[in-house]
Amino acid sequence: MDAAKALAELMELSSQITAAVALDGEGSVLAVSSEDPAAAASLTASTLELVAAAEDLGADGGEVTRVEVELDEGAFFVVREGDRIVAATTGPKPTSGLVVYDLRTCVQAIEPAAPKRKRAPRKPKGEAAE
Amino acid sequence: MRKLVRLALLVLLAVWAWRKLFGPSGSDERAGISYADGSAVVLEPGTPGFERLASITRAALRT
Repeated sequence: MDAAKALAELMELSSQITAAVALDGEGSVLAVSSEDPAAAASLTASTLELVAAAEDLGADGGEVTRVEVELDEGAFFVVREGDRIVAATTGPKPTSGLVVYDLRTCVQAIEPAAPKRKRAPRKPKGEAAE
Repeated sequence: MRKLVRLALLVLLAVWAWRKLFGPSGSDERAGISYADGSAVVLEPGTPGFERLASITRAALRT
């Protein structure tokens, strides 16, 4: 599914989410919920900063798959799957399990940059059997 | 009069006990990170890691 469509579905599905952004593995924006470019840029920067900080906090800088930060004034969630990242902010006291589920559904719906399955080149018949 | 004071004290004690047992238990702030290798970290408020993530979150919430 197209990233913009997946994000639009996410915003429609989850009433708790106030803003969301979808990024590729290099940090380029695939889709963003806000129409304000400054707000979109700020959310993107915060998402990348949160992922970098979470990687620093890991034992050996392992790849982050999920970050949840819940504060009294609201929450910030990031879900990463392969080379796709979806991040969202919510109001106070969100149902975090539900938000993470919605984000995971969204990130899985976004088509990856490269095709999922590539056909391996055919081996000559003689090499196939080992 | 003495009965009234005793009743007031009992009411105060009951209110205190109710709030202690069933009242809100302070802030619910928390942060958690999951990694691709299956490990996870929970950060408690007051720790440097939590404060770092919280400041980024506050910036994101302002947008």
